[in-house]
Amino acid sequence: MMGINVKIWLIIFVPIVVFGVSLIAGPRMINPFTADDISREILISIRAPRSMVALLMGMALGASGAVLQGILKNPLADPYILGISSGASLAAALGIMAGAAFVGTFTIPLLAFIGALITGSIVGIMGWKRGGLWPERLLLAGVGLSFLFSALLMLFMSISNDEGLRKAMLWIFGDLSMSEWSKIPYGIIFVGIGILISLSRAKALNALILGDELAHSLGFSPHRERFILFVSVGLLTAASVSLGGMIGFIGLLVPHIVRFFLGSDNRVLIPCSALIGGALLCIADIISKSVLPPMELPAGIVTAIIGSPYFLYLLRRKNVLSI
Amino acid sequence: MSSASEPKILELRKVSFSYSRQRPLITELSLSVGEGEFIGLLGANGSGKSTILKLGSGILRPFGGEILLWSKLLHDFRNRDRAKLISYLPQTLDITVPFTIRELVGMGLYPYDIPPAMSVDSALDMVGLQDKASAHLADLSGGEKRRTFIAMTLVQGAGLLMLDEPLANLDIKYQIELVRLLKTLRAEKNISIIMALHDINMALQFSMVMLVKDGSLLGIGTPEDVLTNARLRDAFDVQVSIIRQTDGSAYIRYGDNA
Repeated sequence: MMGINVKIWLIIFVPIVVFGVSLIAGPRMINPFTADDISREILISIRAPRSMVALLMGMALGASGAVLQGILKNPLADPYILGISSGASLAAALGIMAGAAFVGTFTIPLLAFIGALITGSIVGIMGWKRGGLWPERLLLAGVGLSFLFSALLMLFMSISNDEGLRKAMLWIFGDLSMSEWSKIPYGIIFVGIGILISLSRAKALNALILGDELAHSLGFSPHRERFILFVSVGLLTAASVSLGGMIGFIGLLVPHIVRFFLGSDNRVLIPCSALIGGALLCIADIISKSVLPPMELPAGIVTAIIGSPYFLYLLRRKNVLSI
Repeated sequence: MSSASEPKILELRKVSFSYSRQRPLITELSLSVGEGEFIGLLGANGSGKSTILKLGSGILRPFGGEILLWSKLLHDFRNRDRAKLISYLPQTLDITVPFTIRELVGMGLYPYDIPPAMSVDSALDMVGLQDKASAHLADLSGGEKRRTFIAMTLVQGAGLLMLDEPLANLDIKYQIELVRLLKTLRAEKNISIIMALHDINMALQFSMVMLVKDGSLLGIGTPEDVLTNARLRDAFDVQVSIIRQTDGSAYIRYGDNA
């Protein structure tokens, strides 16, 4: 058996290695030490921002999945269940189809971010009753809004022109190929803030899993803590969707993998889910750009194809469908 | 009830509460808990036992009267400071929680920046769960599950323990074990305990009982004083009689021949 310290070092080490490999790998391997000018340009302007976006998105999805499964006490929860991503997608897709470009290449990420925050607020308001957020209400409000926004999205897509439609579809299914450096600082700020907030409330999240009354007895205000954690999930989801659209499965799968190896203490679970989420999306991206060059597979499809069998394997090994 | 001169940990002064505006559940209830007291809270279903415990632990806010913890208003305490003085354990504990026993007991440290005197290991020792430290709650017996949470409150270091029906759904063996454990804690750590319970026979073993009906106290004091046939009939709406033996012990008999 590996000691817990060895496992944690591995979890820190793996994303760094994977990130390095994702720079080198692609339709064409590039050795950064012997690269010519063109290759170096590809490395710096195309691959590095793309790998950064994959890392940041994966981190945001992994961490917010862990937090959300805890808040909602539901092992099937993922960051998209609250409808935040549907709202973001609707706003972004409308922007793409309308050809909006009022702040250049920032327009679509900005629209997605705003769409996510507005949707998050609506879900929050609907999940609020008697001075606090209630998990069941949040979940039902999220699922309801998610259906509504998806339907609206389909409606607009079905009446849109072909070019806008194709771009919007690509974006919705998670497209990392549009990554550029200008998005990275914002990504780092929002993902960083989101992860720091949720990490600072990790003890409270552990206590909330025991139930509100025990959480109160342990010195937490359950409604306040749930609200703060909900805000962190909203920020992380908004940041990840605006960075590269929707990439499924990481938010659901990664926390379960981490629980399997390291247990359910959120002080470990949240940071490790972030690191493994980042690594997994980088791996998916390596595969998506390497297997069928020059064609690229959407990273979201790759995460689902490599993730689902492993998820099912874990399910056989242990009752991982717990939080 | 403690006399006026003894230090009081918790005091409810004319506390009123209701879940709905139409029907007050608790009306002007006053009671106090002194240091090292072990009180059984008895009453029929819906009499307000749980509500009293939740009011006393600050989970619910009264709409009238005041609640004092060590002579200071309970709701003026910061959550974390209150958690160092009172522990509350609900009747239903979610046994599907994913944590190990050691992790659960360790959560008692959450209100603290600097760990208090009692370590997780010594708390596990005290409740006899040292060898189950890496198990999960679902793998433990009913009695062990309860003891896990008692160990958590020990680590938490609170001087007042409020337990909502900890004996419910426990076999008689585990009931006796748990009460014995609580009595040991009271003796060794001077912890005050209030626990809601249903079993009148068990209540007869307590040094002090409170009997409630419709959110009001029917009596508080020793079981001999409080648990009279007439009061029990009033509280539970059935014919019962207490049979006292020559050796001082007592038990309850149900039926009409009281």
